[in-house]
Amino acid sequence: MKQILNIFRKDLRQFWREIAVSLALLATYSWNDVRGWAGERNVGYAGIGGLISYQFLSGLVIVLLPGAWAFLIVRVVQGEALVGDRQFWITRPYEWKKLLAAKVLFVALTINVPLLIADVVLLAKAGFPPSHYLAGLLWMQLLIALILILPIATLATVTATVVQMILAILVVALYMIGVAWLASVIPSSSFSGPVNLLEFALLIATCLAVILWQYARRKTATSRWMIAGLALAVALIVAATPYSAIVNHEFPRIRPGDPLPVQLALLPADSSQAAEGPDKEKEVVIQIPLSTAGMAGDAIVVLSGVKVSLEAPNGLRWNSGWVSYGQTELFPDHWGTQVSFSLKKAFFEQVKSAPVRARISLALTEYRDKNRREFVTPRGDFLMSDVGACSADTAYLREIHCRAPLRTPSSMLITSDLSANTCPAREGESRAETRLIVRDWYQNSDSGPAEFGISPVKNVDFYLWARNHNGARPVVAGICPGTPLLISNPEFVRRIGTELEINGLRFADYRLRQFSTGGDGFGFVIR
Amino acid sequence: MSAIRTENLVKKFRRVEALSGLNLDVPEGAVYALVGPNGAGKTTAIKILMNIFGPTSGRAEVLGVDSARIAGRAFTSIGYVSENQESPEWMRVGALLEFLRPFYPSWDRTLEDELISQFDLTRDRKLGNLSRGMRMKAALASALAYHPKLIVLDEPFTGLDPLVRDELIQGLLERAEESTILVSSHDLAEIESFASHVGYLEQGRLRFSEELAQLVERFREVQVTFDGPSRLPEKASESWMQLNNSAAVVRFIESRFEPERTRAEIRGVFGEVRDVTFSPMTLREIFLAMAKTGRNAA
Repeated sequence: MKQILNIFRKDLRQFWREIAVSLALLATYSWNDVRGWAGERNVGYAGIGGLISYQFLSGLVIVLLPGAWAFLIVRVVQGEALVGDRQFWITRPYEWKKLLAAKVLFVALTINVPLLIADVVLLAKAGFPPSHYLAGLLWMQLLIALILILPIATLATVTATVVQMILAILVVALYMIGVAWLASVIPSSSFSGPVNLLEFALLIATCLAVILWQYARRKTATSRWMIAGLALAVALIVAATPYSAIVNHEFPRIRPGDPLPVQLALLPADSSQAAEGPDKEKEVVIQIPLSTAGMAGDAIVVLSGVKVSLEAPNGLRWNSGWVSYGQTELFPDHWGTQVSFSLKKAFFEQVKSAPVRARISLALTEYRDKNRREFVTPRGDFLMSDVGACSADTAYLREIHCRAPLRTPSSMLITSDLSANTCPAREGESRAETRLIVRDWYQNSDSGPAEFGISPVKNVDFYLWARNHNGARPVVAGICPGTPLLISNPEFVRRIGTELEINGLRFADYRLRQFSTGGDGFGFVIR
Repeated sequence: MSAIRTENLVKKFRRVEALSGLNLDVPEGAVYALVGPNGAGKTTAIKILMNIFGPTSGRAEVLGVDSARIAGRAFTSIGYVSENQESPEWMRVGALLEFLRPFYPSWDRTLEDELISQFDLTRDRKLGNLSRGMRMKAALASALAYHPKLIVLDEPFTGLDPLVRDELIQGLLERAEESTILVSSHDLAEIESFASHVGYLEQGRLRFSEELAQLVERFREVQVTFDGPSRLPEKASESWMQLNNSAAVVRFIESRFEPERTRAEIRGVFGEVRDVTFSPMTLREIFLAMAKTGRNAA
């Protein structure tokens, strides 16, 4: 312990400037965060005053603070550099476990503990008693350690100087761009939930192995090979994962006889949408409108993914692969939705007039709307169960703005009839005269006790808006004091897969000049 | 008993073989000078001994411990100073000593004060602001203050002015009795003044290793004077180096000098000659001869 404290004290003396900078940035971040709750989020400053505006400072500090932490980690690890053969400490009676413990202690006391204190203060300032959230606060520290500190510390152990470290970060950034590109050209790779978890586990395991290996042996070449091995493994996982099989497994085909949560059928093409696009376009967007029906009153169906397979009479085939990012929500009162995808223009020209056979595979996630309760938006500050401390903002955005402790709600649906909206009409707006249902569904798939981030106080905004139908006057939307809402908590039921087979589809009828989200439901582009 | 022993130590850096089967034996209590030209492998050998590198093959023992296990507490008995070692330049001399003190159970505060005074060091000067000589003194003070059993110095005198070199050597000699010292250098004049043993390393091989007194004793510059014109023999002793002649004189260096045996050999090769003189050689002259000849005199 004596040796650990001795090294720790030395590091404190050596890096007091770096520590001071990171603490100052943390204080600035915390001060600015509190300022944001008081409404400064939406206040702009002209000229030089803009430098202290909430928006500017939060944008700046959110980059500088992790940067300062990273710099501090690099400096303290490289204070007893593990790379090279000339460091004075390597022929002194340092014990590697104690050296590592000293560095961990330093990072914990100069990064984690100040952050924990700042988080406690922020929670208290936001009106949430910190003692109720200790597990979540510690979880946040663990996430910061795993996601930010560990990878930076790993790179610091295999580099000798800050310049080398910057080069290493550049190499990692280039690699990530390369892997992102690789993923973008592999069909169905946007469905990669379990794969991401595997990659994350590999990352953490490699980082820990490299750090331990470097401190125990200082075999930098081996450690760098381990990192290169990780990079290769991730690239191989991205390239070789059977994404399609994963989707088929996660969204099993519904058994014969089991009812689908929603009945989908092809609708006739909307002639007002179809048009000739400009010749310079390289891709043509096709929009297939589908009718929806047969949903139970409390059912919600999310189109989580779509795969489109085409077969033209002349033998031409095309397959989009599974495409995620759906979150296209179908509610019982919806009459339809649409599936949009883009085709290479050359392919489109070959098949546009021919009757094409299309197979649209859908990955559906079914939810059941639970715990419905009516809620009239109060004036001023109020508490919302499952969320936190909220207020209705009429001045700027006509929304409910909430501060939530540690995490945003897992699943909260706000439903409102705009014909009963209480927000004052703005210039050019008209009131909805008939029932017009709008929704805002807040979902958070992170099931941990806290979300990754610096601040433990999460901003949650509920906002209602109505789509403007083909040049019609916008209707008064938003949430204001007095606005009646129906709040509920949709619960996951199951994932299922289904297919629509459409024969004789003529693409020329379904071509969209410009991608649009017109109509009820949503469209999404498949590339 | 050996303080350091290596067996067939080989170190390769990719295709370059820096050490080619080094067998080194440094007796306990010796002041062992490892000498040789630049690139001979002195620093590589020392770095393997200090477990800064691992050997490609072979093994080394330092104070009875396999060099691959030299780490942590093992360094409480070893003082290592190298000309190319980085120092924590942001630290002041006093802070460095204060920082290192808890690492060594045998740290001697009185000795620390003596060394500071002897080396004319100022505690509140930053290492980064010190001259090279003063930095070496600070490094040596920090490596001597805990009475190490083994002191390893890698080219400690390179680039130092004579006064500083004398001070360093003086400081070292005063502690020589309690320690074994291994010093690598190509500064032969200084080595000669205090080394008890010497090893000559060339191209990764130890050409010889012996007590300095014996070495100096067995090397002689020999001058053979003839009555008439001199001639070089067709066959000479293997221990004769750099044979050359001019007018009535043949000169060479004898690397296995024993007065009677050498005289008998000369008589055997040249027959009767007018005069033979044997001149002692300095260490520098011996090594210059060795380097030029490039032959195995061991």
